[in-house]
Amino acid sequence: MSSESPQPAMLVRRPVDGQRLLARVADQDAGANILFVGTTRRTTGSERTEGLDYEAHEPMAAAALERLAVEALERFALTSCAIEHRLGWVPAGEASIAVALSSPHRRAAFAAVEWLMERIKAEVPIWKCAAGEDGSREWVHPGDMRGVAADPAAPGGSP
Amino acid sequence: MPAPPSSPLTVALFAGMAELAGARSVTVAWSGGSVADLRRELGVAHPKLIPLLERSAVAVAGQYATDTQPVAAGSEVAIIPPVSGG
Repeated sequence: MSSESPQPAMLVRRPVDGQRLLARVADQDAGANILFVGTTRRTTGSERTEGLDYEAHEPMAAAALERLAVEALERFALTSCAIEHRLGWVPAGEASIAVALSSPHRRAAFAAVEWLMERIKAEVPIWKCAAGEDGSREWVHPGDMRGVAADPAAPGGSP
Repeated sequence: MPAPPSSPLTVALFAGMAELAGARSVTVAWSGGSVADLRRELGVAHPKLIPLLERSAVAVAGQYATDTQPVAAGSEVAIIPPVSGG
């Protein structure tokens, strides 16, 4: 369709359509096509989650996702790559993220999905608020972001 | 010597940070300095932000900034607490 967005990465406030994303990365030069869909998990340990409410620093998050998609294309010699992250309320069982990519070969494609998800979870400014079935609401802030801005002038940094 | 003139600097807050502050942004009197100086100023003005602030990144003009980076008056500044997307 002519209205198809050419952007490799998008933040959306509607259900993620993984199949549409997979169709977008289709290419006759690809021998491997992967669609990863991350969904809101109902049960974590003894906690029952009703859903996750996502928010983002939207301009930064959109730029970061796009940069990561472009970097993955080069790093893993992919044919095509597309990412969608949903914002707002995501009920348990629904998708919060989809990563679709195509590659001449399978191994690079699997490695690229794993690399992208690790980077997205570590540095893209998106947050989830977990809503428990018991009425609890809690923002999820794991770890430490102090090292995310690499300082090339710092001792031990690259020259 | 008179203190350098200060102007209000708006700092955008997200997620648990906004919840702690009870606001989407806070304003600090800013007469220039580094990201580390801004962290100190924020902590003084809003002590309840400190525990999460210590684990947060600071973004200036939409880019993650190191503690030594200067923050000019009027900069677009955001506190980025540990992320949990995906």
